[in-house]
Amino acid sequence: MAQYHAPLDDVFQALADPTRRAVLSRLGTGPATVSELARPFDMALPSFMKHIRLLEKSGWVRTRKVGRVRTCTIDETSFAAVDGWLAAQRDLWEGRTDRLESFVTATQTQEKRS
Amino acid sequence: MTLDTATPVQPDLDLTITRIIAAPRPAVWRAWTDSASFEQWWVPAPALCRVVDMELAPGGSFRTEISEGGGDFGPHITGCFLAVDELERIVFTNSLVAGWRPAESPFMTAVITFADHPDGTEYVSHVMHRNAADRALHEELGFYDGWGTVIGQLAGFVEKTG
Repeated sequence: MAQYHAPLDDVFQALADPTRRAVLSRLGTGPATVSELARPFDMALPSFMKHIRLLEKSGWVRTRKVGRVRTCTIDETSFAAVDGWLAAQRDLWEGRTDRLESFVTATQTQEKRS
Repeated sequence: MTLDTATPVQPDLDLTITRIIAAPRPAVWRAWTDSASFEQWWVPAPALCRVVDMELAPGGSFRTEISEGGGDFGPHITGCFLAVDELERIVFTNSLVAGWRPAESPFMTAVITFADHPDGTEYVSHVMHRNAADRALHEELGFYDGWGTVIGQLAGFVEKTG
């Protein structure tokens, strides 16, 4: 379960910033280029790109460069991570079920042997 | 899926995990209701679980502790059982503690069901949560509606790979 999203700390850290939340909010309505995303912010492009990079690294956003235009789309795998709460609960219960299954089947095997 | 008809699913607050375990129902039941067995699987290694109370009756205390990284044991689950139907169903909550006393921080109710299945036991955890802690965040982000879809996909994925 663990390997298909970025570490939760990274995922949540990415949300701990109003610029990045605004970017995600915008991307929630569909893909956008970096310059479109940057327009509402009074920020130099290199600073803005740092936010994009962080969102990308934490698994929130995928980017693709065609020519000189970089387009961002939301990366749904992180929704699963932050859905957070419910997905984390699901992971927790899924893990418990995995372990119960292993425990019971191992116990069964032992009982058959003895 | 064996769900109690009294507990309809709310997809944004609930989760249901269904697993066919290749063992007879009494073996799965024992793994749950025997404290020493329960401690073996409830928390992921290397964390350790200790059952403080497992009074398997309505209103009976259900308390576990956890030790992570070799540290002292601290509270994990503090709640009570709501229903215990031998070999069939265990319902517990942390909204109430022993003797049905209201809890400090209510959070969830879990309905665990055990049913015979041709390949062993159908084990279902239906977990109901009070609210999604980050619901406000989801709404702020403006894509709350998309969430249900993703959860649905995740659930599908989990159940396929499970």
